[in-house]
Amino acid sequence: MTSIAAPVRRRKILLLPYLLSLPALLVCIGILIPFVTAVYYSMLRYRLNLPYLKGFIWFGNYKEFLTDSEFWNTVRVSLEYTALTVGSELLLGLVIALLLQKQSRFNNMASILLLLPLMTAPALASLMWKLMTNPNFGVLSYLVQLMGVHNFQWASSPNSALFTVVLVDVWVYTPFIMILLLAGLRSLPTQPFEAAALDGVPRRFVFFRITLPMLTPYIITAALFRLLDAIQQFDIIYPMTQGGPGDTLLVFQVRAYLEFYQYTNVGKSAALLMILWAITYALSNVFIKQWLKLRERARGLA
Amino acid sequence: MEHSSRAERVLRGVLITAILVFFLFPILWIFLMSFQTNEEVLRIPPSLFFKPTLINYASLITGKLQTAAGSLDLAFMLNLWNSVLLSTLSVALSLLLGVPAAYAFARFKFRGSEDIAFTLLSFRFAPPLLVLLPLSLYFQDIGLNDTYVGLIWVYQLIALPLILWIVRGYFEDISPDIEYAYRIAGHSWLQTFLRIAVPLARPGIAAAGLLAFIFCWNNFVFALILASADKQPVTVGALAFVTASGIQYGQIAAAIVLSITPTLALALYAQRYLVEGLSLGAVKG
Amino acid sequence: MAQIELKSLSKAFKTGKVLDGLDLSVEEGEIVCIFGPSGAGKTVLLRLIAGVEEPDAGAIFLEGRDATDAAPERRGIGIAFQNFALFPHMSAFDNIASALTAHGATVATIKAKVDKVAAMLKISHVLNHEPRALSNGQKQRTALARALAADPKIVLLDDPLRNVDAKLRYEMRLELPSLLRASDATVLYVTQDYKEAMAIGDRIAVLIDGRFEQVATPASIYRAPVSVGVARLFGDPTINLIPVNPQAGGDGLSCEISGAKVGLGAAQVEGAGRSMLLGLRPESLVVNDDAGLGGFPVDVVAVTPLNEKSVLLMRTRDGQEIFASEAGVENEERKPGPAFARFDPARALMFDEASGACIGSRP
Repeated sequence: MTSIAAPVRRRKILLLPYLLSLPALLVCIGILIPFVTAVYYSMLRYRLNLPYLKGFIWFGNYKEFLTDSEFWNTVRVSLEYTALTVGSELLLGLVIALLLQKQSRFNNMASILLLLPLMTAPALASLMWKLMTNPNFGVLSYLVQLMGVHNFQWASSPNSALFTVVLVDVWVYTPFIMILLLAGLRSLPTQPFEAAALDGVPRRFVFFRITLPMLTPYIITAALFRLLDAIQQFDIIYPMTQGGPGDTLLVFQVRAYLEFYQYTNVGKSAALLMILWAITYALSNVFIKQWLKLRERARGLA
Repeated sequence: MEHSSRAERVLRGVLITAILVFFLFPILWIFLMSFQTNEEVLRIPPSLFFKPTLINYASLITGKLQTAAGSLDLAFMLNLWNSVLLSTLSVALSLLLGVPAAYAFARFKFRGSEDIAFTLLSFRFAPPLLVLLPLSLYFQDIGLNDTYVGLIWVYQLIALPLILWIVRGYFEDISPDIEYAYRIAGHSWLQTFLRIAVPLARPGIAAAGLLAFIFCWNNFVFALILASADKQPVTVGALAFVTASGIQYGQIAAAIVLSITPTLALALYAQRYLVEGLSLGAVKG
Repeated sequence: MAQIELKSLSKAFKTGKVLDGLDLSVEEGEIVCIFGPSGAGKTVLLRLIAGVEEPDAGAIFLEGRDATDAAPERRGIGIAFQNFALFPHMSAFDNIASALTAHGATVATIKAKVDKVAAMLKISHVLNHEPRALSNGQKQRTALARALAADPKIVLLDDPLRNVDAKLRYEMRLELPSLLRASDATVLYVTQDYKEAMAIGDRIAVLIDGRFEQVATPASIYRAPVSVGVARLFGDPTINLIPVNPQAGGDGLSCEISGAKVGLGAAQVEGAGRSMLLGLRPESLVVNDDAGLGGFPVDVVAVTPLNEKSVLLMRTRDGQEIFASEAGVENEERKPGPAFARFDPARALMFDEASGACIGSRP
């Protein structure tokens, strides 16, 4: 009655999953090396045009930010951009999802067509809107003028630049929220709504006490998804205005990009990105938990 | 909602129409603009009626762009070719790497598996420039800067997490007994993977591949940093139009139309899977 | 030579020990039913033998060779899963052929063998269908055909009748033993249905809480279960267990049931003076109005006709409910009310109340 072990085969079975996931693992390492480098750079005084000044300064770059009004401007603009885009996209997305909730040929067609902006590259979308808001021939400039607003400068004026890029962001990304919430709405159980309809419960009450609470996990997931993207905005703002006019639209990544290429200040650029990373890391932890919960649930339903 | 009043139905109709106009008008307008001569584009007031011309597309294809200052060489077709090449090869590589890994994550609960999967996922949400800027310096050192190989490698950052997390869900939905039955019938692990697991997860693999293609195609910042003009995809290449002075607007519109058509067509084709893919499998469509 | 031999096989999961030192030896051509309540570890045992799970300790010998660590595809086993586990993207033909293609058979041989096994299982007409177009019964037969197609020496069947309807289950229960015997294979058959186990198995291995409580022929398990646990699993209605405190006397052991003194026969003397459970199969109870020797008073509470027999629910004076079943339906005038029950002491079972072990030897 001895137990016989054949270690060779067992080891083979254990190795297989590592072998299979090795490529994915290598890509991970491929990300982690530049990431660690970025952490290191962020503690350097490192300007490509002044190489002899290079030196380790611990948290010097970060400390400078505390009193740097440009930095605080970046924080403010990024937060404003994020709040405005995610807020309006959530509201608009929810409205559209509710309008299209009922399964019908028209509604399904509309929801598919509404996906097209989302599938447009944001950088190209920003060019499209640039053409439409051109002061000489842009159709939107013309329409605004028809409505009696003269001299509306869109992205070229500090007063309306933020509005313009937020508008493009809303155009591109609202469909994302819409499609998630629509899928969420359509997966809700029907009994509570039927019961409420039988009892003659007012619709406002149904919406706030049944629909909204049941939809909350989807809303949170969609909002966090967008939050994570919006705080890192680059694809729309950079092609549209390169962060201008002036410093109106210098959000984190645009400023980091300019610090790196325009001012060749590698250390400062890296420190800026580290701060952005810290924000997204915290957010993504919350997000991933929420996302996993929803994923489990979706797989339970299927 | 069953007993909606007439006023409410009208209101709904108006709202949905307004929404459709807002989201579809830009695409339509650029499409129309791409068939207009410069004079027609510049006409005030803008008009929906004009005589369509293919001159913009023709000059894009020949690479000779008419500007106010004369003729300008702009190899937009090369950008388009780069987009096709980069997206296709990136997704192909990503499927090759990602599908077996997804299978490993789905079937074997091995030490570190969740950590690897989550590292990939969390970097999907990290600022791309954080990794790209140091990487561009490394790439210059090892000669990968401005090469297709380097770009395709970096594009794995976009495609791999997507494929890994979507396909993994599909593998997990296959009953392990089905695979065991095939193995006990006398087939090796690899045969079982290729003839049972992969065919059964094919809808998920196709969906993830299509979406990864769309995301690679639409990416802007990776190529902006790591590629120069002759390796740039359309998203970066189109920027050159804006900076070039005196360029004809119809040509920009035509370039945009050519650039967004492939992804829009794919999206319409794959719309069934979009919800699941966009939410990385968190929401079933 | 034993075809399947398990030596102190153990397996634990995070939730606890599932199989605990199993020993079993199955002869060539034998059909052994692994029977036990759900959660006893029956399926895990089959998975260990098939090689899709690895044992923590112990060894598995198949056809005389140590197969403990062999890959599943090298064990030469045919298996049918409880949930059928058909390949959804292949036709029934390809499903059945899957075991043959692996071994490089020619197209003609494959066709011949599939046709043969399909004819035997009466599914020749659906071979072109994909699993989703098959009825549950056809799926079940396809799974069975797949397990048998390659003429494996060893066949493992994991509760194959569980997911089919009652009628089909009844038919298959009659059909399977001859089918399996025709294949010459050594069969391990997992089931939770004691009738199925008794109808199909040459022997039954009763698995309770990860251990084999008893391995024996169906008849001897029914007649002489080694413990209360085993006795309870066989029979419908289940065995009556009456707590008694037997005393030795002139004419052997006797005890008090329902206020009456009942003789337990001369053979059983071991249980004297201890708390025991008297095990009475419902069919060994005779119920009538005769208060004569060995009868104890009961109240018949309900009479339920059940196919060819009637089941009587009765209550003793001590308030315990016991069942009796009477063959035939001739007793149609049987009405609820007071009566007397008696039994043949030779057919009674005695269990130690503390350990549950059966006391006294049985032929």
